[in-house]
Amino acid sequence: MIAKWIGKRVIMGTIVLIVVSFLSFFILHAAPGDPAAAYYGGNLQTLTTAEKERIAQAFGLDKPVLAQYAIWLREAITGNLGYSAKEGRAVSTILLEKLPNTLQLVGITLMILAIISTWFGLLAGMKEGSLLDRGLSIFSIASSAVPSFWLGILLMMIFSVQLGWFPSSGMSDVRGGGGIADRLHHIFLPVAVLVLSHVGIFARFLQDCVKSESKSYYVQVARANGVAEQEIRKNILRNAFIPYVNYVGVTIPSFFGGSIVVESLFGWSGLGQLLVKSVMVKDFPLLMGGVLIIGVVVVVSLFIIDVLMVVINPKLRRGVLRC
Amino acid sequence: MLSIDGLSVSLNGRQLINNVTFTVPKGRITSIIGESGSGKSMTVSAILGLLPVHAQTSGAISLNDKNLVEMSPKDKVELRKMHFFTVFQDAANSFSPSTKMKHQLFIFTGHKQGHSKMEFYQKMRVILQDLDLTDDIMERYPFELSGGMLQRCMLACALYTEPTLLIADEPTSALDMLIQKDFIDLLKKLNDEKGTTILLITHDLDIAASVAHAVVVMKKGEVVETGQVSDVFDKPQHPYTKLLLENHF
Amino acid sequence: MKSRKMLFFWLIILAIIFVSTAFSSFLAPYEPNSMDMNSIYAAPSGDHLLGTDQLGRDVLSRLLVGGKVTLLIAVVSVVISTIIGFIFGGISGYFGGVLDIVMMRLLEAFLTIPSLVIVLAFQAIMRGSVWNMAVIMGLTGWFVTARIVRSEFMRLKDSEFVHMAVMFRTPMWKILFGHLLRNSFPAIFVVTLFNFAGAIFTEVSLSFLGIGVPPATPSWGTMLYSAQTDLLVGAWWIGLFPGLIIFFTILCLQFIGEALKKQGGERSHA
Repeated sequence: MIAKWIGKRVIMGTIVLIVVSFLSFFILHAAPGDPAAAYYGGNLQTLTTAEKERIAQAFGLDKPVLAQYAIWLREAITGNLGYSAKEGRAVSTILLEKLPNTLQLVGITLMILAIISTWFGLLAGMKEGSLLDRGLSIFSIASSAVPSFWLGILLMMIFSVQLGWFPSSGMSDVRGGGGIADRLHHIFLPVAVLVLSHVGIFARFLQDCVKSESKSYYVQVARANGVAEQEIRKNILRNAFIPYVNYVGVTIPSFFGGSIVVESLFGWSGLGQLLVKSVMVKDFPLLMGGVLIIGVVVVVSLFIIDVLMVVINPKLRRGVLRC
Repeated sequence: MLSIDGLSVSLNGRQLINNVTFTVPKGRITSIIGESGSGKSMTVSAILGLLPVHAQTSGAISLNDKNLVEMSPKDKVELRKMHFFTVFQDAANSFSPSTKMKHQLFIFTGHKQGHSKMEFYQKMRVILQDLDLTDDIMERYPFELSGGMLQRCMLACALYTEPTLLIADEPTSALDMLIQKDFIDLLKKLNDEKGTTILLITHDLDIAASVAHAVVVMKKGEVVETGQVSDVFDKPQHPYTKLLLENHF
Repeated sequence: MKSRKMLFFWLIILAIIFVSTAFSSFLAPYEPNSMDMNSIYAAPSGDHLLGTDQLGRDVLSRLLVGGKVTLLIAVVSVVISTIIGFIFGGISGYFGGVLDIVMMRLLEAFLTIPSLVIVLAFQAIMRGSVWNMAVIMGLTGWFVTARIVRSEFMRLKDSEFVHMAVMFRTPMWKILFGHLLRNSFPAIFVVTLFNFAGAIFTEVSLSFLGIGVPPATPSWGTMLYSAQTDLLVGAWWIGLFPGLIIFFTILCLQFIGEALKKQGGERSHA
């Protein structure tokens, strides 16, 4: 059972990565100019004609497109994603530098988001018809209509320009020394933007789950038999959490999309900012690598969510682990 | 023991129950029979104090001379907790899907009475054996058990709490024919051996005839006939009861 | 009843936004690109209702004309994505079987890639004009539509009506298309509305980052792109009004979508 479960996920993950790698390869191939230049970027000028030919042969640039893809894929799997056209450094090195920054941003956001949205969602779902209940519904629609960068600018104007509480850009201060406190000080506003633009929708989803769960048959049966409200509530929450976690999983890709905007706005040196910069300066190897690594990160995070689903949903747990 | 006197319930201007009067004597099985929409289940809701907030109620429901209609919500909860136990129709959905049976059985029984988990396990184990349920259902989730098993789990809770009144609201309608009979036999045994007072709501005349001592026939929110089973089934007085019996046999 | 009134209200607001941008060339008080060096960074006043920007261009006029660009991109991309979604979802739902399984796995894969990343990647190679942008967004925005169309197809294929019609030897595809258009319209329309809102978001986000519509073309996104520096000199109106108009447009679409969803839900329960 567990082998089948893992197998299914591995296949799905592989399909995603093949699609993403196709997309990445397509970018490089459709990119204007000499493909050798696209691979070796800034180093091209220093290459002799003979070396260029060697590269062309190594990457099979004289072969059909599919064969080129196979060669590129083989290289990519071994970690060779080419060299940045502008910086001349290996793409994989640059990506590994930026990846932790994006993971920090998205990770902290998800954690805070989970806490706040759970809190509000449960509270609002439990008190149907209350001010909080109706307020949350309106807030969630309104907040999903605000572009995140606009919200970012607004927060920046208030908290950086006017009040001077938080830095408007960058990841560390010269005087801050780059410690963890300094990092948190800088991550506050980007995280706040991502949290604010998602918290309404998340909380509302949980609220709806709690509401529909509260109306279910077993709740009525328990109530009719005088089971303690506190115990009934525990069961409602446990069951409402299953679709909620699933929903969080479905929206994870959009966080990496959202981080593109937020990272650029706040000068957070992660994968999102890297992507935007590489589009601007047409650094194709870097762009390809960036798209690919985001694909990998999404596949991994979805796998984590899948594992979490198995842990919290006994039906899946029994099916997969038989325990 | 439980007596209902002139009970009327209306909701949004619609009369759901009209002037219902009957008694449930101690130690006996009384059955309310009627088709769907006859007000059977609404009567149960009224007894349990679970009518919608804006429902208008008149008349009296008294349990051992205490009027339930005028009780505070808190007392009603206490009543459901300590004096009644109700088994509903859809056993498969009567338990929370993602919690192990041992926790659910506990909150339906020992938890209400302030027992420790240890006390609960010891007592429940014996009861489950009586009902032909093995120990390992404690470690199972509801979706791993059949409807019949879950309905017996409900009954196990009733055996544990020993309620003043056991209400069974269409307890067998969702079960297979074979299991239906088993369950009815269990109800009978419960009444015979422990003297539990039972109010059985059903649309199935066979079931009423086989276990009940007395029947209450309801139609469109009103009681049309009451009496001992033998009297009502042999010499029905009301035309509706006659019709029911004619269509049945 | 109350929700119907609300629906009407938001429809009117949306209509006003659409009509005023569509007729922007008549309504705009100034030429959107004409610079007036005598009134740079003019605050909102009688002359310039919403003020002027760093080149003395009238914000209101640019907002109206820019809306035309933003909404046009959204409309074109949604038309393209709906057509593709219909074809993909239709084929998958109609033929079913192995083909359906393969297509659905592929679709799931597409859905796990952040949509903004896909658009961004395409922008790198095809960037240049408003039309390119619309086409790119259309080509990458059909996934959800395809899924809905497919599930509606699946649902209808099993319905009694279709079984009846098949007995009378009406070709299956004819029945399905005719019926799909009549019965599944609400569900697909709601998705299209949300897609439309998403397209506006994508355009303004990318343009704001400087990698969407060419910065010289006025759109709601490019206006916000150039407003970044203006905010620091205190010209808040240049950034505020485009943001507000985006907010209200999306809000209209959200509320209309919600209202339709609720009504559809009520109908299917009845």
